Amino acid sequence: MDQDLDLLKRCVVGENSAWEGLLRLYARKTYNLCYRFTGRPDEAEDLTQEVFMKVFQTLRTYDAGQGSFSTWLHRVARNHLVDHYRRTKRDRMTSSIEDDLVRIEEKPSPGAGPTGRVEARERKELLQQGLDKLSPDLREAVILRDLQDLDYEEIAQVLGVPQGTVKSRINRGRLELARVLKRMEVVRGPAKAGSEP
Amino acid sequence: MTHLEIENLASDYLEGFLDPASRAVVETHLAECSPCRELVGEVRHVLELCRSAEEAEPAPWLVSKILLATVGERKPTLLEQLATYFRPVLKPRVAYSIAMAVFAFSIIVNAAGLNLRNLRFEDLNPRTWIFRADRSWHLALARGEKFYYDLRLVIEIESRLRQLRGQPQDQEEAPPRPPAGGSTQGTPSGQTQLASTEGSRIEAPPLGKRAPSAVGRPTALTGAGRSLIQ
Repeated sequence: MDQDLDLLKRCVVGENSAWEGLLRLYARKTYNLCYRFTGRPDEAEDLTQEVFMKVFQTLRTYDAGQGSFSTWLHRVARNHLVDHYRRTKRDRMTSSIEDDLVRIEEKPSPGAGPTGRVEARERKELLQQGLDKLSPDLREAVILRDLQDLDYEEIAQVLGVPQGTVKSRINRGRLELARVLKRMEVVRGPAKAGSEP
Repeated sequence: MTHLEIENLASDYLEGFLDPASRAVVETHLAECSPCRELVGEVRHVLELCRSAEEAEPAPWLVSKILLATVGERKPTLLEQLATYFRPVLKPRVAYSIAMAVFAFSIIVNAAGLNLRNLRFEDLNPRTWIFRADRSWHLALARGEKFYYDLRLVIEIESRLRQLRGQPQDQEEAPPRPPAGGSTQGTPSGQTQLASTEGSRIEAPPLGKRAPSAVGRPTALTGAGRSLIQ
């Protein structure tokens, strides 16, 4: 917290090294948030850049009294992602579920690596597939809670909704994700079994 | 407790947010209801999947890309600028040249008799440098000349002393000269000759005694030589 505040103060007075330090602290986390929302590395990279450009322009408006910088950054990122989701809704309507499945299947298989890494990657892809199927409200709640490790209060601040709503969304999101994953595993199960010799 | 209530409490139950009484009620229901148990198991699986999920790795150039988009190209700090400016100086060839220049300058300063700690206005005049350098040169030359003549005098004195010391020995070693036109039979004359040589030998010792000591102490002679010069 103190480190964040120190960096922020230096950023505000135009110290570029402080801005670089802040980026190094939060770029990875923000990228992960964007990646979980979009499921595409290149899109997540562009969105991360846009989020930080927005942060850079509005850094002076940050008020430490209203919460931590991390929460503020998540709020900025979340708002940007929601805007992006709305902007690209029409484009996504044209892309079918099959496209997504092809995207997953076409990823290079890390067969050369150890079995554990392969399984971890498969789980990651499965989870991303499941998250993509959730509605944006439920998805963001689950991502912030279970993948970004924010507590309920912080999520409520980021989303701008009461904690009760946050709890409800997280619970519904998990239930929905469980159903989606169950369905996907059922779909993928026979395909996997069929591919085996 | 209904299935819907279990569904609503699934997350709280799994995250441990329920009070003991509610927890006991949920556990009782789960023990009896297979579909609810299966549902809670699936949500637990989702939680485990999320928590064990690897973080996505951003591209290595992401930070640089954002920096370029926000603050533009990074300006080097003052220290980096100075390092860039002085980098050629740190090369051995240049450093050697600088060292030689400093050495030459120190020689010139020394020859010109300049005292850098107590520099006066007249010290900045090149004529003063030339005058002082000329004076230093002539002084050094005069000292060298004086040393040369001192050394020459000392060598001369030493050689004279060696001559003086060597004369009696020559006389001793020289064969007795037969008397001109006389016979060799006269022993008395031979005795007198011996006596005269002995007499000369008796007189010689003071010189003979002094000579080795003088030769053995060249510094004393040098001192004597100097006193003579003075």
